Amino acid sequence: MRELKKENYSAVQIKLVRKYLKLKIIEDNISFQRHNQERNHVYDLMKRTVVYGESHSALLIGPRGCGKTTLLNSVLHQLSKEVDLTNDAIIVKLDGLIHYDDKIALKSITAQMQLENAVGDRVFGTFAENLSFLLSCLQSGSDRRCRSMVFLLEQLDLFCHSGITQTLLYNLFDVTHSKSAPMCVIGITNRLDVMDLFEKRVKSRFSHRHIFMFPNETSENDTPSSPVDTCKCVLQQLLTMSTGVVNKISNSPKKRKKGSRKSIVNTEEQSQSDTDTESHSLPEEVLHRCQIDSQEFAELDPAFVEDWNTHIQMLVQDEKVIDVLEKLCYYTVNEQIFRNILFQLVCKLSIKKPYIDAADLISIIDNTVAPEQRVKLLQSLSILELSLVIAMKHGMDIFDGQPMNFEMILHRYTKFANIHSSTQSVPRPVILKAFEHLQALEIIMPVRTTDSLYATGDTTTSRVQKEYKLFTLAVPVEDIDEAVKGFKALPTEISHWYHNSVI
Amino acid sequence: MEDIQATVPCRDSQLKELFELLGDGDEPLPCSIFISGNMATGKSLCVNSVLQYLGFKHIEIDCVECYAPKIMYECIICELFEEDENIKCETMVDLFNSLKRIENTREPIVIVFDRAERLRTMDHSIISSFLRLREFCNLNICTIFITHLIYENFYFRMGVREPIRLYFPNYSKEELFKIIFLKQKSFTYHLLFNYEVEDEIKAELDKPELFANFLNAFLSVFYRPCRDLIELQHMARNNFVKYCEPIIRNEIQAQDLTKLWRHISPILKSSLELLYLRISDSKPQNPSPGKENAEHAGSFNFENILKEELTSTKTFAQSFELPYYAKYLLIAAYLASYNPPKEDKRLFMKNHGKQRKRMQQVKAKAKINEKLNTQLGPKVFTLDRLLAIFYAILEDKIGLTSNLLAQIATLVELKLIAGGKEIDLDAAKYKCIVGYDFIAAVAQTVGFNVRKYLYDFI
Repeated sequence: MRELKKENYSAVQIKLVRKYLKLKIIEDNISFQRHNQERNHVYDLMKRTVVYGESHSALLIGPRGCGKTTLLNSVLHQLSKEVDLTNDAIIVKLDGLIHYDDKIALKSITAQMQLENAVGDRVFGTFAENLSFLLSCLQSGSDRRCRSMVFLLEQLDLFCHSGITQTLLYNLFDVTHSKSAPMCVIGITNRLDVMDLFEKRVKSRFSHRHIFMFPNETSENDTPSSPVDTCKCVLQQLLTMSTGVVNKISNSPKKRKKGSRKSIVNTEEQSQSDTDTESHSLPEEVLHRCQIDSQEFAELDPAFVEDWNTHIQMLVQDEKVIDVLEKLCYYTVNEQIFRNILFQLVCKLSIKKPYIDAADLISIIDNTVAPEQRVKLLQSLSILELSLVIAMKHGMDIFDGQPMNFEMILHRYTKFANIHSSTQSVPRPVILKAFEHLQALEIIMPVRTTDSLYATGDTTTSRVQKEYKLFTLAVPVEDIDEAVKGFKALPTEISHWYHNSVI
Repeated sequence: MEDIQATVPCRDSQLKELFELLGDGDEPLPCSIFISGNMATGKSLCVNSVLQYLGFKHIEIDCVECYAPKIMYECIICELFEEDENIKCETMVDLFNSLKRIENTREPIVIVFDRAERLRTMDHSIISSFLRLREFCNLNICTIFITHLIYENFYFRMGVREPIRLYFPNYSKEELFKIIFLKQKSFTYHLLFNYEVEDEIKAELDKPELFANFLNAFLSVFYRPCRDLIELQHMARNNFVKYCEPIIRNEIQAQDLTKLWRHISPILKSSLELLYLRISDSKPQNPSPGKENAEHAGSFNFENILKEELTSTKTFAQSFELPYYAKYLLIAAYLASYNPPKEDKRLFMKNHGKQRKRMQQVKAKAKINEKLNTQLGPKVFTLDRLLAIFYAILEDKIGLTSNLLAQIATLVELKLIAGGKEIDLDAAKYKCIVGYDFIAAVAQTVGFNVRKYLYDFI
């Protein structure tokens, strides 16, 4: 009986730990470490816009998944604690992926400024007119006091349509120079050459304030940190359970009372100290956004958490783990990918496996950075299909990579099949089917990229019969090598044929 | 867990991985999952049964059905809110606005995109947007992409959020055996449905050993050219009936494995030719060669005619029953398509003079046996050239009548020759689109040797 209870208890504990860590990995877009200099820069800009009514524009440039958006979120989060963001400023977030059209962007801006009623059925001539109307609406509001605007443009490079005029960017940057409203425009992109994409008039209105973020940058203390160290740091930070969770919740009612009485400045100080002492905990806002009651985690046993944290400590110092992290950094320094890996790792926690296994981490990282799915796909082909690939490879060897059609490949294949009488002969329609299968898997690609299998090109151009359509091999030779080497139960004559090459 | 493993056999590790990733209902879902694997490896089945079991709200989108973004968005909203009213959703922004309506629930939502390779040809960054759907709306939402292509085939734009990747390997031979064996009941039912069987033989047929033996024999032949479970099942169903026929007729004992093997192996070999073609051969008949076959064709049922026609190009060619001159026209068209025009003189004229073989030419011909005209496909020719060749290969002299020209039009109509749409006879260009086998069969009926006139074979 007691045994059962204990099992039940640890099951609950593990489930809570798993949930907490998952939340931390996936949902937490506020906590931000490192890059203090850049963060302060952005923070400064926004604060000046919101508090003093200055206008600014800036570009935040950094590679994929290095935390640009997180940086902004954390700055906004901090600002919202210090000043009354909802009344003093309007934050408009646009994303180049979804607001690719000026019309859509404007509609979204209107919605985010909550001015749909003001606009109504009004018809505007130009984009500029519409935008200035929106801004004037703000000024003529009830309190007659101007609210500052913060525009966050994600995927800025996608707003720079080539060919079409960059009306949105032009107008936004233009407003930062006029007096109409204090506005801060921050563009986020991963393209270093984004300036070259700007039109001349856009470029001249942009403040040329670039903020670069590099994942491997040395930290502000001038202690050079290698990517592996950052990786280790992130691993430890994300996987460590906060001991504070349990304590904080136990005395939370008291704290809430205090907070209501104290002034804003004091709570800020307190939260500052909070983050100092327990940098591993989840911000309350995240929990709130996910509509999860923090009381839920009160059931966590402090001893269990302590145990878990020492386990993580051990894990980070594990030789094997360091090795594999080094390998990961060799391929990528993208933090998002690393988070995905950690998520998969945390997913594996269960009652049967209450601790993280280094072997799991190794296999997940191997799967992520070098999945070799192409080799696996080649190995999943039937013998007939593989023979066709080999025939094609030989043909391409002979003719210096010139494209081939079905008849040529069939010719090579039948030559081979005739020599080796042991291979079962297959009729032509079946071979054609196998060939089409290869095409569907995109192992071979038609030469004219426009008429791929799925594109519904007009019939006049693709007049050639399918037997005579030219194809090239779309997989690298090394992958075929690898696939043939590891193919299960490959008939010897085929591997022989492959290696001995050209008949 | 055991229940699902029973319904989805041989995918244990994949199922486990999916379960782990999706987790419990109150935990956050991963951002996006990308599942790839060859055709018929149980990708959709696994995902669907796992989601069904977990009871998450999930939306399945078949990207073939939803061929345009607008249809897809509307489909998603329709299923999400279970509304049938006229939903209008033109752009991604509209979709997110609708999603915002349910933002206060944290119940997990999964959107499954089946055959996701189609998404690539759609509107520009639709995949990238769906990959980071979670960032755009405050929901516990996850997107799963199922495709038979690998991740590298998706050329994403910059700034994509990497999904978690899963790979479904093929079923091995043993696993295929296991899976088909699970369906033994339906196989025997199919058999009993079609035949009247005595009771004691029925008991024999129901024995799993018999079916296992059959499957072993079947896979030994079919595993090589085909690994598609669906196709294998289809072929196995057809062949099992034949395997059991002698048992039903009491000719071979069910225990006599060698005799059964001897009986089935030629049948399997011949049905190998029908792989993927999906031609029913439920009633085997001896195809009578030659013209008689076509004459009696009316009395056979349509399926069998189709089968015979498709299995042999010869009978297919004869089934057209072209007139005498039309046959010659077709042969002339073939020759015009596959011979270079400058060799016409040498091929078709009686006194073309001697051609000195230059060393260079001989070499060039020997080297490029892969660049034969017959392999590069048909070339275009004019009507003049067709008629010239036609008169050259035809022994008796006939006049150029409108009847003859009408024959050409008929050939174009029958899709044996591809023709231009121009009405102007001088400008019209044609191309012969039948293969060598077909032409050889036609030429045989009029006693003409095509090979003699093909430049490639000289």
